Amino acid sequence: MKIGGYKLIFVVVGLIGVLLIATPALSIIIPIPKGQQFSEVYLLGPQHTMENYPFNITVGQNNSLYVGVTNQLGSSAYYVLYVKLKNQTDLYPNPAAGTPSAVPPLYEYRFFIQNGGNWASLLNFSVSSATFSENKSLVNVLTINNVAFTVNKPAAWDSDSTMFSYQLLFELWIYNAQTNTVQYNNRYVSLQLNLTQTV
Amino acid sequence: MIALFVFLAFGSCFYSGHYVFAQSDQTASKLQAANTAVEQAFNAVLDAEKVGANVTGLIAQLNVAAGDLAQAENSYRTGDFNAAGTQTDSVLQIAQEVTISAQDAQQAAPVSGQNAFWFIIVFTVIGAIVFVLVLFLVWRRVKQRYIKSLFAAKPEVVDR
Repeated sequence: MKIGGYKLIFVVVGLIGVLLIATPALSIIIPIPKGQQFSEVYLLGPQHTMENYPFNITVGQNNSLYVGVTNQLGSSAYYVLYVKLKNQTDLYPNPAAGTPSAVPPLYEYRFFIQNGGNWASLLNFSVSSATFSENKSLVNVLTINNVAFTVNKPAAWDSDSTMFSYQLLFELWIYNAQTNTVQYNNRYVSLQLNLTQTV
Repeated sequence: MIALFVFLAFGSCFYSGHYVFAQSDQTASKLQAANTAVEQAFNAVLDAEKVGANVTGLIAQLNVAAGDLAQAENSYRTGDFNAAGTQTDSVLQIAQEVTISAQDAQQAAPVSGQNAFWFIIVFTVIGAIVFVLVLFLVWRRVKQRYIKSLFAAKPEVVDR
């Protein structure tokens, strides 16, 4: 190899080396583009896996599942997670309009998550009191994490799916620092429940 | 006598109902104050985070306050105003502590951030100069060896 070839190699190695050494400074001066910003809410079964979700529930039976939230917003966030009980006639939140379900919240979680962080909590619930007639059930009291809520939520017998259908709805709300208000984050997840009289 | 009894009975009902409403209003006001305090504390933490302060500890403290506040809201929703009021008290105290700590962290952060910035700049400049100098010395050595090898390979004229 001629001397010019060696010279070229040294120049290239020099440039690459200087760039590598300057990487920390460059990362300060040149802002790294942010990825997609979002929050996510999820449910896991009682073993912290995606199985054994409560489905068939009876009066007095204890049920549990994990509910979690992940923050990918690029900064810390203040979340409120509402737990609601809906029947088949209550409406789900409207993702297109970004509006929450009209069902009033029962239980709520409040928590802060740093960017890239995760929050999860075990939720225990049971139907403490319910009445049944031929084609109708009525959940009187729903207990969530040892807090008893009077709900008086009826459900008609669903002949298609042959069950008294209820859904446990988890709505994610977030604090907006610009408006100083907690707003619906257009994220929800629900758990289908079949209320039965016997195990 | 009967009239007096009836008056007292109705009066006590009215007083009891009035007391429940008053307690409910009082707890609602406390909850509102706690919510505002937590939101203000979080605003302060966000401001500190924006200027590069480490807010991990503050977020952990805020989570304690948020947990208590959620419990208070749940108690209020079930009509347990006494529990809601008690749970709210700790929220206000923690939120105020976090707000002060966040403001301190926000003031301290630019100084430490500036120090870190200059450390990185100085490290980069010195590192780059040393690297280029070492590379230049190695280049000179390689060049000398190359020229030496060229001279060594020079054909010699032999007289016959």
